Amino acid sequence: MSVQTMTATGNDVSRVVAELKSQLGTHEPTAVLFFASAKYDQPALAAAMEAAFEGAKVFGCTSSGEIGGDQMLKGAVVAMAIDATTAPNVAVEVIEDVSGANDVAAAVERLGQGIGGPLGGLDVSRHVGVILIDGMSAAEERVMDLVGNLVDIPVVGASAGDDLAFETTHVFVGGKAHANAAVLAILEVPAGYDILKTQSFRVLDKKLRATQVDEVTRTVIEFDGKPAMVAYAEALGVDTGQAAKLFMNHPLGLMDGDEPYVRSPQRADGDKLVFFCNIKQGTTLSVLESANIVEDTGAALAEQLGPEPSIAGLINFHCILRTLELEKRGQCGAYGALFSGLPSIGFSTYGEQYVGHVNQTSTMLVLHNP
Amino acid sequence: MAGQIKEMIDSIVARRAGDNEIIRKTTRTKLILKGIEIGRWSETSPDDPAVLSRLKEIAIELGVPS
Repeated sequence: MSVQTMTATGNDVSRVVAELKSQLGTHEPTAVLFFASAKYDQPALAAAMEAAFEGAKVFGCTSSGEIGGDQMLKGAVVAMAIDATTAPNVAVEVIEDVSGANDVAAAVERLGQGIGGPLGGLDVSRHVGVILIDGMSAAEERVMDLVGNLVDIPVVGASAGDDLAFETTHVFVGGKAHANAAVLAILEVPAGYDILKTQSFRVLDKKLRATQVDEVTRTVIEFDGKPAMVAYAEALGVDTGQAAKLFMNHPLGLMDGDEPYVRSPQRADGDKLVFFCNIKQGTTLSVLESANIVEDTGAALAEQLGPEPSIAGLINFHCILRTLELEKRGQCGAYGALFSGLPSIGFSTYGEQYVGHVNQTSTMLVLHNP
Repeated sequence: MAGQIKEMIDSIVARRAGDNEIIRKTTRTKLILKGIEIGRWSETSPDDPAVLSRLKEIAIELGVPS
């Protein structure tokens, strides 16, 4: 198998990493991607993973729950080892200080040196980017915008989590744990890949135009000239108190044709509305209504992978808000079962990336069989 | 002159993507995420100076200045 997935639980970093390595067998990866509960000593975990999988590019991040095959887990480490038949060439770089000056351009140049040529000259059908960003940085939109300005290779990924503490998340590369940083990897995948972005909402026939915003704090002050919470509540046909309880069921969508890029309300700040995602002034958004995550994800997977999937691997960047909804509905088992038999890992994220930053979405990278 | 916004959108996408359908799709998405409602503008849409100005900025950001 060109892609090997591993899962380990326990509290001792050394034992967990040893368990992961034992599951690898004779597989010789060019890359090892891992997602880990925030409970671990992160610097120790980063160093141990780097040492255990010497010779591979090792990178990853902390999570708010892990997905290993058909299991939705907590307090674990999941990993995917990819060998040269799937990804013969891998480059990984860190982007430091994402909430400040950052050095996206320099990192992109280093990636070009690592992958064997400037990224602009690479075949986008045979190269894909994976990005993991500090989930507490509030910098995802800016980082993705800067990366997108420089790079045409599709980039998919997520915001790191920390087991719902919302204090500190980490990304891992080079044997180190970084906060306020991002990891950007470029993989050459000669057999090709697909990117799947799936969200489970109906688009309602109600729109809100953001007429006054504070982009830095991800706050909408007014929709359609009215206080944001008042306008949002009116759109839902409820009072503002009731509206605040409906955020997860009724996020907003920045529409690309029929496809929403979801923007999830986080909390009310008086009459203002703070989101998990930046909203630009003048943007028109559609009101969304939650549907059935298991049904919709199953349909999306079936459409993408066909009735008898044959893939090398799948990485699922799955919003924590979706995980919480699945838990509330008792559907974690049913969701995990969608990935049964597929070589897959994933994690519950603080945000998802595909071209830009989104919420309440699963973005997935599907690696084709070599 | 009506239609300049659509013309500029199409030009940015064409200059960035060429014939590559993958890049064409992601460039269009990037424009949407940068705040341009690309589905709103046609050949007959009146020109909005603020949108045109923003598109000129975006063209520079994407390395395809007009």
